[in-house]
Amino acid sequence: MTRKSFWITLGLLTVLTMSLTACKPETVTVVETVIETVVVEKEGESIVETVVVEKEVEVETEVLVEKQIVIYNSMHGDPDPRAADEEIVKNFMEANPDIEVIHSIVAHEDFKTAIRAYLTASTPPDVLTWFAGNRARFFIDNDQIMDISDVWESEGWNESYPKGFQALSTVDGKQYFLPTSWYWWAVYYRVSIFEELGLEPPTTWEEFLAVNETLKENDYIPIAIGTKYRWTAAAWFDYLNMRINGPEFHINLMLGEESYDDARVAKVFEYWRVLLDNGYFLEDAAAYSWSEALEPMIAGEAAMYLMGDFIRDSLPDEIEADIDFFRFPIIDPSMPIGEDAPTDGYFLAANATNPDTAKLLLAYLGSVEVQTYNAEELGRLPTNSGVDRSLFTETQQKGMELIDGADFVAQFYDRDTTPEMADEGMNAFIAFWDDPDSIDTLLADLEAARQEIFAEE
Amino acid sequence: MPRTKRDIIPYLFLIVPVIIYIVWVIAPMIYTFYLSLTNWDGLTTPEFIGFKNYIKLFDDKVFYISLTNNLKWLGAFITVPVILGLGLAMMLNTAIPGEKFFKMTFYMPMVLAMVVSGLIWGWMYHPKGGLVNTFLMSTGLVEKGPGWLSNRDIVLWSIIIVAIWRQVGYVMVLYLAGLKSINPQLLEAATVDGANGWQSFWRIILPLLTPVTVIVLVISVIDSLRAFDLVSVMTRGGPANASSVLANFMYIESFNNYKMGYGAAIAVILFMISLGFIILYLWRVMKDELEY
Repeated sequence: MTRKSFWITLGLLTVLTMSLTACKPETVTVVETVIETVVVEKEGESIVETVVVEKEVEVETEVLVEKQIVIYNSMHGDPDPRAADEEIVKNFMEANPDIEVIHSIVAHEDFKTAIRAYLTASTPPDVLTWFAGNRARFFIDNDQIMDISDVWESEGWNESYPKGFQALSTVDGKQYFLPTSWYWWAVYYRVSIFEELGLEPPTTWEEFLAVNETLKENDYIPIAIGTKYRWTAAAWFDYLNMRINGPEFHINLMLGEESYDDARVAKVFEYWRVLLDNGYFLEDAAAYSWSEALEPMIAGEAAMYLMGDFIRDSLPDEIEADIDFFRFPIIDPSMPIGEDAPTDGYFLAANATNPDTAKLLLAYLGSVEVQTYNAEELGRLPTNSGVDRSLFTETQQKGMELIDGADFVAQFYDRDTTPEMADEGMNAFIAFWDDPDSIDTLLADLEAARQEIFAEE
Repeated sequence: MPRTKRDIIPYLFLIVPVIIYIVWVIAPMIYTFYLSLTNWDGLTTPEFIGFKNYIKLFDDKVFYISLTNNLKWLGAFITVPVILGLGLAMMLNTAIPGEKFFKMTFYMPMVLAMVVSGLIWGWMYHPKGGLVNTFLMSTGLVEKGPGWLSNRDIVLWSIIIVAIWRQVGYVMVLYLAGLKSINPQLLEAATVDGANGWQSFWRIILPLLTPVTVIVLVISVIDSLRAFDLVSVMTRGGPANASSVLANFMYIESFNNYKMGYGAAIAVILFMISLGFIILYLWRVMKDELEY
């Protein structure tokens, strides 16, 4: 018992010391010349480090008290996006000295896990990053997202944002979401390998199979993929389904309005199986994350990878120059062309404690200035048509053309359908990958899951 | 009067831990049980749905896969590390040169965080460049090493091996402590009476180690039931749930699929199973206390 009390006392003392240390700079500033300190909390892997930004301002102490705050939680956890995000917040605070942004960055997967806890907390964050589409729609339907039609109106976004993005943000004539960036999916390939074997980017399924065969004959791994986190396999399902059965059927399947035991779904797996049976995919794909599976491609052993444009963030510069991409080959020419182009953005929590300052920050995030910055720093494609298109690189131009040429733009398997259904579906894809003969049972199970999941809603 | 005053003191000391225990253990437990009877999705108001979650759970394939995997884990855990740990302890209990170094080496894995162990072994199991397969291929025994974490038939065992690697040193240390407490005179007496090493091990050492064995077994059982870290880091339960265990299944359902009510039901079942073993253990310990 004494030992336990000892540890408790020690723990309390530690906490006390830490909080005293944390308070120290602030008490000093109040006494003498005014230095504003802003504590930005960054959450890393397991440590929480605080960065204290100091600047001198010649104002009375009372002004400090009136300082307005806004809480901003973001999921830009990767190094480059994190740096850009911090820079944007810094610029915002410089432009608005009376506003303090309490900014925390959480890793992508952790953010997805925690978001419902954030929203239901007694003081939810004001501004949050999120995905457009079904994932945002769920929160809108549950009254967790604030109506920001007034911001759209006052910022003139109804004119400066293309129709498609407006539609993505609007429910019952009101805007709830601010889409800020998007990226395309395509088949990325090593140009040097294609040149060496005299291959052209395939446009039809037959050409695609021929390319795979040639690559395999020459001891290259035709297609790199790492399915440890499953979603990479979902991309193949998305594209095969859209190419074979058309985007309309695909999106209805995502919405739970078509059934998984439909013969058209079975057909998708027949095509998929050809690739598996011929051994065109990287072996032991389930052992790798998507970026681990990128290694053979960087090493020049694998030739192609169906991936989102963020693939280029993970490529060394000299390899990036040797990478190009092509549209997923057409299978049924009579079908409209669907592409995956996930859109990310922001929303305000319905119960935000600081709605006015939050709207200011949101307006800044949706501005041409910030979107230009992000496009330059991260190569993300902006949604605001006010951004000067001449700034874009050749690759970005090509990506935008790819999407411009599409008849339908989907978000992605796990964004277009419900999280539960996506979980069931992606498990089935992996099980199919491992044992293609089990597909009939898998689809029957998926159909049972669909009926249950969509009956609940 | 002085009698009661003295009686109160232990309870005074107990107040703080009891409050902490109620707030952090008992209350969440009751709340979890309540949640398991609702359809809470983490966002909307929980709606009471009776035992529907449990009915669904007992019809869920993944639940049975996870339960079986937990049982396989348990089976492996109460045998392999216990035998190896005891063997090592017997070996290192004699004064051999470098005995301290060996003890430290075998205990080392335990010091590492589970997550670190998982990551390191994840690299070792890498199908192409991993230590294990590189070694296997260099011996020429196999042409191509297996996908340790991608093959549904072996993935669970690949993870259990890591857990065992970690556990052996721990069991060894517990047994070493137990061996130190055995009175050497008993062994001397046995030798005088003509018992050989094998006989004194079975007849004297092992029976005297029973209290340690009970603790080791209980720890092994509990550790195997709460297995989560390694699975989560190495495979996240994949491929296609082949390496799922109850704790991981609960985590995925609650935080990936946001089915908090369903996740709570899994937690309750897992708790019931653990409770069974804990009661068994307490019953055993109390019986022993009465005997002595």
